[in-house]
Amino acid sequence: MKEEKRKINKQNIIYSILAIILLCVLLFPLFWILVTSLKTEQEIFQIPPTFYPHVLNTKSYAAQIATGDFNMFQSFGNSLIIALGAMVIAVTLAVPASYAMARYQFKGKKLMLLGFLVTQMLPVSVLLTPMFIMFKHMHVYNTWYSAILADATIGIPFSVLILKNYFASIPRELEEAAYVDGCNRFTAFIRVLIPIAKSGVVVCAIFSFLYAWGDLAYGMTFILDQQKRPMTAGIFNFMGQYGTKWSYLTAFAVVSIIPVALIFIFMQKYIISGMTSGAVKG
Amino acid sequence: MKKVKKFFQYDNIGLLFAFPAFLYMLVFVGYPIISNIILSFQDVTMKNLVRGEKHFIWLQNYAELVRDSVFKKAFFNTLLFTVCCLAIQFVIGFALAVFFNKDFKVAKPVRGLLMMPWMIPITITALIFKFIFATDVGILNYILKSIGIISKNVEWLTQPDTAMAALICANVWIGIPFNMILISTGLTTIPKELYESASIDGANKLQTFIKITLPMLRSTIESVLILGFIYTFKVYDLVYVMTSGGPVNSTHMLSTYSYKLSFEMFQYSKGSAVANALLVVLLIVGSFYIRTTTKGEET
Repeated sequence: MKEEKRKINKQNIIYSILAIILLCVLLFPLFWILVTSLKTEQEIFQIPPTFYPHVLNTKSYAAQIATGDFNMFQSFGNSLIIALGAMVIAVTLAVPASYAMARYQFKGKKLMLLGFLVTQMLPVSVLLTPMFIMFKHMHVYNTWYSAILADATIGIPFSVLILKNYFASIPRELEEAAYVDGCNRFTAFIRVLIPIAKSGVVVCAIFSFLYAWGDLAYGMTFILDQQKRPMTAGIFNFMGQYGTKWSYLTAFAVVSIIPVALIFIFMQKYIISGMTSGAVKG
Repeated sequence: MKKVKKFFQYDNIGLLFAFPAFLYMLVFVGYPIISNIILSFQDVTMKNLVRGEKHFIWLQNYAELVRDSVFKKAFFNTLLFTVCCLAIQFVIGFALAVFFNKDFKVAKPVRGLLMMPWMIPITITALIFKFIFATDVGILNYILKSIGIISKNVEWLTQPDTAMAALICANVWIGIPFNMILISTGLTTIPKELYESASIDGANKLQTFIKITLPMLRSTIESVLILGFIYTFKVYDLVYVMTSGGPVNSTHMLSTYSYKLSFEMFQYSKGSAVANALLVVLLIVGSFYIRTTTKGEET
């Protein structure tokens, strides 16, 4: 018995070490840009490369506040507005729709469901030109609205399909009890069902935000003014103009990962649940 | 009025809840799909987009594409890229899922951390890998040189074959967590008793893997591969940022070529035709996924 316990313990240690090695290898790219963003341009080109900044250089970050053809903090703000806007639209529309999909057998339901499934797999290329023409006619071209409206189309189908499972898992009795207490369908939905499906709503909000935060194609195509562009488009533009100013580029990269990392740290369980229930039938 | 009220009394009240989202998607996705198809039958370029005189030339854009060597190259590239990425990320993801399914202390937190690459904006991932694969400053060349695999810096992103390899490498990095987490979830659904009885019957590890794990994971594997195909086949940001289809059009994918035609060469109609070709492939593959997902959705 003791022998066996020791064996398990030993295995535990070996596996743990192996796991940490794997972690270091797979996350090395992230470590590497963080380190690089804190080096001087000179040290970046040094051979052999240094694995931590010998001279700590925070100028790449600071330079973006003071000067800038590309103002990192402004475009960070733009990204935030666009991603939050898309998130609000997606969640507001998807929550009631998913409830309907889970609870009612209405005319056209199958068609709608199919529509949401198909839109999830659409390539942006199909939508870009028509949206571009449409937004020109709507006079939202070259404003935040164009990117917000376009980005919400990624969040909505994802959210509907995920939340449908959450609402379907709520026992009908709870809803019926609410009717007995004098709720109608709308108030029961808002006061009783949404609070129960709260964690599902959080998953949808996170993913709608992340999709919009990471978008390049829409932001780059529909917004031309550098002052209004999201970070991704700004960074891409900067790469085109200044090529390989890696100290700045890696600093941009780190800043744009910050919100993602924060979401990741504080809401990890929602993310994993979103990834799994979104893809595999729940 | 009464009729309307009656119509919405029972199940059809669902329409009221679902309609706003559906309408939104109809306007911002449904309409663009249709107008993209119409556009591909026309001859819209920068010039007549402004003046508004466009003509129907029907299949001419598609006929030109068939003869277009860049289009053929892009189609082939997209397929090659997708197949390579799927195979590599599936094998690595599967191995990691099996490994982290074992019961040891740091398994769960480490597996959680490995999700990071999947969440990062793809533009940033492309930037990171551009840096790693850079010729002079790139860490990859330094590592390969110091262990003696290469003697001279390789110009990864400026030669067709190595550029493609770099793209695949970056995309696999994004895809591994996705494969890993879905297969992990699949693994937890296999009853432990099955393995116990197999080991009583004297089956070895390889046998149990082939006879129990793989068959039990069939539907998970199917959806991982189909979804992976869809996500990979429509790759856009990664290629656009890392190589922009270069050097000399050698790494164009259908999506980047479509973008180039529409927004760099302003041949909107031709770009739409390429996008539609991409869409057709996705819909064919996607229909398998839809069939499995909507099965048993009747309740």
